[in-house]
Amino acid sequence: MQTPSPPGTHDQQASRTRNLRWRGVLRRHLTALLFLAPALILYVTFVAYPLVGSIGLSFTSWDGVNPVREWVGLQNYTRALSADDIMQQALLHNLIWIVLETIIPLSIGLLLASVLWDGARGRTAFRTVFFMPYVLATVIIAIIFGLIYNPLYGALNQFLRAVGLDMLAQGWLGQPNTALLSLIMVAAWAGYGFNMTILLAGLQNVDMDLFDAAKIDGANAWQRFIYVTIPQLSHVITLLVSLSLIGGFKVFDLVYVMTAGGPGYHTEVVATYIFKQSFQQNFVGYGTALSIVLTVIILIVSVLFIRLRERGGET
Amino acid sequence: MRANTVHPDPAETASDSIVRTAPTPGFATHKYALILRETGKYILLLFFAVISLMPFVWIVGIALKTKKEFYEAPFSLPAVPQWQNLATAWDIGHFGEFFLNSVIITLPTVVGVLICCSLAGYALAKIDFLGRNILFYFFLAGIIIPFQAIMIPLYYQLRDLGLLTTYLAGILPMIALGIPFGIFLMRAFFMSLPVELIDAAKIDGCGDFGVFWHIMVPLAKPALSTLGIVQFIASWNAFLLPLLYLQKQSLRPLTLGLLYFQTRYESDYTLIAAGITIIILPMILVYVLFQRQFIEGLTSGALKG
Repeated sequence: MQTPSPPGTHDQQASRTRNLRWRGVLRRHLTALLFLAPALILYVTFVAYPLVGSIGLSFTSWDGVNPVREWVGLQNYTRALSADDIMQQALLHNLIWIVLETIIPLSIGLLLASVLWDGARGRTAFRTVFFMPYVLATVIIAIIFGLIYNPLYGALNQFLRAVGLDMLAQGWLGQPNTALLSLIMVAAWAGYGFNMTILLAGLQNVDMDLFDAAKIDGANAWQRFIYVTIPQLSHVITLLVSLSLIGGFKVFDLVYVMTAGGPGYHTEVVATYIFKQSFQQNFVGYGTALSIVLTVIILIVSVLFIRLRERGGET
Repeated sequence: MRANTVHPDPAETASDSIVRTAPTPGFATHKYALILRETGKYILLLFFAVISLMPFVWIVGIALKTKKEFYEAPFSLPAVPQWQNLATAWDIGHFGEFFLNSVIITLPTVVGVLICCSLAGYALAKIDFLGRNILFYFFLAGIIIPFQAIMIPLYYQLRDLGLLTTYLAGILPMIALGIPFGIFLMRAFFMSLPVELIDAAKIDGCGDFGVFWHIMVPLAKPALSTLGIVQFIASWNAFLLPLLYLQKQSLRPLTLGLLYFQTRYESDYTLIAAGITIIILPMILVYVLFQRQFIEGLTSGALKG
């Protein structure tokens, strides 16, 4: 405040403006607090607090009942990371899942997106159809495909028998060598429409000048696709890969409903194993440690992705 | 037509009226190659459309068949559609009850997320206060926390609070889990609005909440509808959370209800298919009617997250 004032009242006025400013600051903070309160209360109570609880529980051998939660230090973690064969197997299944569930829907999605982008009638209708599985609950998809894979009356075997390929008809979900792959195919089926839609959205932003320049330079359609389109889609592809990575580590619904990890442990994934350990066998402490391991893996993947994305943004 | 019109190329304009982007100029002059290419495109699209739709068509087909028909002619269409299969499944499957439960759980969750996140997102975007950035990152961190990281202690916490196997056990944690992404989305949206709007409203005598409610919320409709769709799909389709915290038949949402129905009548294919049909048909109908909103909402959700 630089307004000239009578000498005597100068101090008074300065203190009044200071006072007013402080009241304004206080008011602003109170308003912010009121606006934030509902979100903050729910988030702290049902996310942050249990997260701290998880970390605490993971150092105990609690069974969910005993009033005493016995501290066992790092024992759960050393067991999970070095001595638990089923956990290793489950992690391997997650990795297989991730690799296939990234490659298959991404390639199909890219193929369909580029065809639709190239110009085709009924584009909206096709997009609507391809995207549909993404809107439905995974549980429902799992139940439908459980019926499709049924050895006797399932559509798959019925179809194979109808076209004379009887020898290929088999118990898809009941055999160790086909069960995991059969599950992954369902995930890929449900995912390619989503991949296609995101890629198609990315293609809308492709710089057409570059595309035309390449055309003038004599690049054919395939070359333009590889050298002009794909590099400009790298952002979107990184996003899809990272979503599959994170989703692939978290996968639960599909496996739980279709095979519950069986036969044996041939389709066990980390999330179903955590569920069994902590809620069916009541090894709550150990199950929690496993869930922290899973969380750390997902955190690492997410941070790597964010780094990659930032670097991509600079260049 | 896109950018081709920008650089008219005499060798290509002819083919461009048929195909939007022509391949190399020499290639386009071969009419047969062009027709082949176009046909190939549609064969590919139709093939995958069939792959995407077949499972649903098969299920609805079974749902409308007699048992005899199902065993004898698995791929033929039902001779006389057996509509009463749907009615039977609806009755013995308690689907009315499950549907109501899904509504009771999903509606408050969506409303709760919209209220919490628009309020908090506005504060984080437009009110200047100490610790604003720290608080934002505190919320943002929740985006990468998987449900598995909290589900076990949360079970015992809900039990101790007396909330386990009540609707609230399906609602409150679901809202909390939706908050990180919701705040991220709403804050980004409010940041894009000019401050002058707020100042002008304040000069007109609006209080903080008045500005928010009368000026900001109406402007935020696009962001709110995106968030609403994302949250609706997340709650309506949730499985693990209700599986853990709503273990009582009278509380089950549709996802759980269908699973128990399927386990119970395992060998009765027509009945299970009828149950699935009852659940998916309304969902598909709503989706097809609002496909643009669904697809844009869910993909922009992913692109921004």
